[in-house]
Amino acid sequence: MRALLAIVKREFFAYFFSPLAYVVLTGFLLINGMFFSGLVRALASNPEFGREAFIQLLFTGVFFWIYMMVVCSVIAMRLIAEERKSGSIETLLTAPVDEATVVVGKFLGAWAFLLFLWVPTLAYPLILSRFGRVEWGAVAGGYLGVALLGGLFISAGTFASALTKNQIVAAMLGFVFIIICFMPALFREFYTDTRVRETLAYVSLVDHMEDFARGIVDSRRVVYNVTAVIFFLFLGTKALEANKGK
Amino acid sequence: MLDVQGLKKSYYGAVAVDDVTFRVESGEILGFLGPNGAGKTTTMRMITGFLPPSAGRVTLDDVDILKNPLAAKRHLGYLPETLALYPEMRAREYVKFRAELCGVPRREVAARVDEALAKCFVDDVAHKPIGNLSKGYRQRVGLAGALVHRPKVLILDEPTIGLDPRQIVKIRELIRELKKDQTILLSTHILPEVELVCDRVLIIDKGKIVAAGTPDTLRAQMSQVSGLLVALKGEIPEADSVLGKLPGVVHAARIGAGGETRVVLESARQADLRETIFKEAVARGWTLLEMTPRQATLEDIFVRLLSAETVVTSEGLEAVPTAVEERTEYGAPSK
Repeated sequence: MRALLAIVKREFFAYFFSPLAYVVLTGFLLINGMFFSGLVRALASNPEFGREAFIQLLFTGVFFWIYMMVVCSVIAMRLIAEERKSGSIETLLTAPVDEATVVVGKFLGAWAFLLFLWVPTLAYPLILSRFGRVEWGAVAGGYLGVALLGGLFISAGTFASALTKNQIVAAMLGFVFIIICFMPALFREFYTDTRVRETLAYVSLVDHMEDFARGIVDSRRVVYNVTAVIFFLFLGTKALEANKGK
Repeated sequence: MLDVQGLKKSYYGAVAVDDVTFRVESGEILGFLGPNGAGKTTTMRMITGFLPPSAGRVTLDDVDILKNPLAAKRHLGYLPETLALYPEMRAREYVKFRAELCGVPRREVAARVDEALAKCFVDDVAHKPIGNLSKGYRQRVGLAGALVHRPKVLILDEPTIGLDPRQIVKIRELIRELKKDQTILLSTHILPEVELVCDRVLIIDKGKIVAAGTPDTLRAQMSQVSGLLVALKGEIPEADSVLGKLPGVVHAARIGAGGETRVVLESARQADLRETIFKEAVARGWTLLEMTPRQATLEDIFVRLLSAETVVTSEGLEAVPTAVEERTEYGAPSK
């Protein structure tokens, strides 16, 4: 457990020494800030525009999906690829830790960094609450959704990072895996059969986030996300075991 | 303490390490020698559990690294050849990170980190980022990381590479000091280092062990011929051909120049050439300045073994060196 915590800590703080992290952080806050400012303006000019809709847009809008996909694949790309490229993976894996601890530790470090990126956005509902009522249930649900979805995307990126020594290739692979996870939401529109549509809705990340952003926390959604994270981390562990000496 | 039995590694049918067997006892330093690509690093990586062997068994303090890797690795400290540290971390943070990875008890971490930093002479840069340190310092920070959990077995792959002569001396002193409490497997290309530091030597070539023993044993086994350096006053161009024809001389070669003539003679091991040479010099009116018996160095042994067709058994050397046409003053054939 101490080894796991040591890896998580090292991974989390390593981001703050990388220029990439500051680019991601600045870009993330800039886009989110612009988005927030636009929504507030819309809210001011159109009183019909509900506050719940604002929360939903914050967590389900097109921008949300684009930056979650891009940011998660960028955050995760270096996790294992960089260690294999530099050779530091040798030192890490000859310590009394197994591959699963390394993969999980790195995943948790990156996930913690993603959650850290979202912390400043807590200011938005706080600002809104000064001018009116805020649905805190929806806000909490939205952030829970971000944590679960971010975990899923980062775990997919961690698996991609274990497959190659090249960080750019890892980012691209990670993005492909994330898109594959996102596919059911797109494919659902192509089917008319109710059962197929229902099945696809169950694994549709867009449906998950829409529910979370309304404050609805369905345990099936949580189980799906957690299972997918475990699945990708398992694949990442196996990939690291197979590739570590290459 | 470290027991390696029948270790083998093949990649897609090509054998990189073939049936390597040896044992290193507690308090012993074993030097691991071999040319590039001989299989040293692959063997070390299998011993550390980083690479799975195709066959064979490695036990560290009687714990099998394949069956119980985590327990076995607790006894292990490893400094890899391609030492990659985290440049953003400070030296102290890095050693602390290694201590936490290796499960050093929480209350002992600070003291152990200080001890490891001081042992490796890096306490003065403990608060500097590793990325700002010189190669020598980084090497020693890596060594401090390998030592921090006081492992019983220490595996060092080229530990003095990239260090300046003063640092090399310090690291050698440190390795000798560590021997009191630890079993050490040391891989190096620097042959004098092996003679200075190691109790026993293992020479590996093309994945197989070609020689094993103490440096003295290897020298004795290797000395199928004994050598004699003869120095004569003045330039005597015919000296090597004259001395080469003396009874008992196997080979004679002139070396160096400038005011005196130096000839390296090789004879059968038991033959004593000194009296014959003395008489020949007197008869020809040469002034004899020096006659020095010379012993084979580890470098001689290494080069001879690697240019030989075969191998050594536990009983002794069976290698037949290939013809050596020209020799340097130190006995190694010049290429």
